[in-house]
Amino acid sequence: MKIKELLKHNECYVAAIIIVLSFAIHITSGQFFTANNLVDLVRSLIVPGMMASGLFMVIASGNIDVSFPYTAMLCMFGVTKLFQMMHYEGPVIFGFLLAGLMGMLLGLINGILAAWLKLPTLIITLGTCTIYLGFTQGVLKSSVISVLPEPLADMAATNLFSVRSASTNLGSSMPVSIFLLIATLLLVGFIMKFTMLGRGIYAVGGDPVAAKRVGFHVSGIKIFVFTFCGFIGGITGLTQVSLSGMCQINFFDGYEMTIIAAVVLGGASIAGGSGSVTGTFLGVLLMKLISNNLILLGIPTNWSKLMTGVLIIVGVSTSAYKMTAAERKVTSNILICGDGKEAADE
Amino acid sequence: MNRITNYIQKESNNVKLLLMLFLSLLVLTIATKGQFFSLNQMQLVAYLFPEMGVLALGMMLAMISGGIDLSVVAVADLTGILSCMLLKMIMPADASLATQIFVLLVILLCSLAMGAMCGIFTGSLIARIGIPAMVATLGASDIILGLAVGITNGSSVKELPPILNEVVNYRVFGVIPSTTLIFAACAGVIAFLLNKTALGFKIYMIGSNKDAFKYSGMDNKKILTMTYMVSGMLAAVSGLLMCGHFNSARSDFGKSYLTPSILICVLAGVNPNGGKGKMCGMVIAVIILQMLSSGFALFRNISDYYKNLIWGLVLILVMIVNVVSEKKKTAK
Repeated sequence: MKIKELLKHNECYVAAIIIVLSFAIHITSGQFFTANNLVDLVRSLIVPGMMASGLFMVIASGNIDVSFPYTAMLCMFGVTKLFQMMHYEGPVIFGFLLAGLMGMLLGLINGILAAWLKLPTLIITLGTCTIYLGFTQGVLKSSVISVLPEPLADMAATNLFSVRSASTNLGSSMPVSIFLLIATLLLVGFIMKFTMLGRGIYAVGGDPVAAKRVGFHVSGIKIFVFTFCGFIGGITGLTQVSLSGMCQINFFDGYEMTIIAAVVLGGASIAGGSGSVTGTFLGVLLMKLISNNLILLGIPTNWSKLMTGVLIIVGVSTSAYKMTAAERKVTSNILICGDGKEAADE
Repeated sequence: MNRITNYIQKESNNVKLLLMLFLSLLVLTIATKGQFFSLNQMQLVAYLFPEMGVLALGMMLAMISGGIDLSVVAVADLTGILSCMLLKMIMPADASLATQIFVLLVILLCSLAMGAMCGIFTGSLIARIGIPAMVATLGASDIILGLAVGITNGSSVKELPPILNEVVNYRVFGVIPSTTLIFAACAGVIAFLLNKTALGFKIYMIGSNKDAFKYSGMDNKKILTMTYMVSGMLAAVSGLLMCGHFNSARSDFGKSYLTPSILICVLAGVNPNGGKGKMCGMVIAVIILQMLSSGFALFRNISDYYKNLIWGLVLILVMIVNVVSEKKKTAK
């Protein structure tokens, strides 16, 4: 019975695919379950994982945000440039706070516009993301910063531990920012599961009119999810700097697509109202597993874009198909009930 | 007099757009000290706007039906690349002008067919599987663009037979660029489709209220698929125009056109929630946008990067103005 309950959850299938895929990669290349590959995988999960958990909230509330990679980019350049100008040498935590605040502000703009205009959030965030991109390139005149200010450079050089694989002699190290990922996941999980706000986000995503009748503040929730997503985006921008040891304008190219895909693959319905943070994380893991190991699987990199597209469509199709099937069931149930009542009347 | 005020009230959006057109023309002319207001500049605007304009027409159809088509750019790129490859393959080495034009027409038909196929693919994802238009077209555009990148390895298709470039750069009577006429033809066909045919009427209906449309016994799957099919065909035309303009084909030519094409629709008064939008507004909006774009190019000290900033700001501003004026109207 318990297993049957478990099988109803989307997370199970994603986890099963992940396990099968990792063994498949290990068998074809023999390099998957090596210490350095696993650490590399975790390392590459940090930034997309954080972004996905922020975006998951937006998607659960029935909205969409394509501007978060640009928020991250703007905060990344903004904070790094400011530190450079000030010759800042204090603790790095203030950088993250500042980036978070900047991100919150940018997210707040999205949220207010979305709540006020009541137009498709895709178009609104598409507009703001071009503004953020234009601001970064035009006003801040940024493309590459290769020498970081000291606090950020220090953080980039600090590692928790390093590993080296005996067979390939390739080394990798675990960055400190893994804690940021864990903290973000726990925070989002807590908000969504144990607070009234989280319930409200699901309710608004499920049916905004019903949520309003129940007494949820729909506009407030909309503004909150966008602001929160911006906050996470800002912090993620600086995390990326500390991971790669430099700033580059194309760090987040195409991220909006892959992250949306990861969230949807993890079982969140794009129409809102469902999904979980565990599923989201598993979705990111699956996406990264595939994109990191395409070469190990023997697929040339030129075709990787096609692969993401196919993944998105397959992932979304299954959830959309399930939804239409469920709808059909409800409609037919109503019809049957109606027939039964008529029969009883006779 | 009464009739004029009536007309202005009825077509207030178009009057607003025309005013904007003259205002931007005036400002640009003054700012460039008359340099902008020349036959040369006007010809350049008329030559360039169709690429973006034809793409925006497809976007408009999708928006009127209550969706959005983010795959237009990808479809334009893929069909452009494939038709250029085909053109290179089938064009005989020393063909006469008549054969060359005949081959080009064949290519046009092929690329229309390819665009239609891409459109049917995205349309089916939306109509038959039930994926929301935004995600379906985003995913489909990754697949279509992925194909384009995979086929070309990210490099460009070069050394095309000169006929495509010659046709696109041709000036009818030495004045009107041929691209303008192509846009006019596309706009005419789409205006006819929207205003005079049952399909057009149904596209408006499905955008106004999807459920009501379904429960009136209409086949919404067929209508939606056809909407995206037409949008794909328009994207294919735009793809050929781009290839003719650059005299080559590449998988990232159309990249910068996505936001402007949405901007054009919103500026033209197409409602992103569906059901509303007229061709007349589209034509004026496209011209305004291209004029601004060409105008900015005249200022050396404004870098190209500011264009993004300006497009984004204009898009948000126009949406705010539209929503506010709509609210005022309903308050009356």
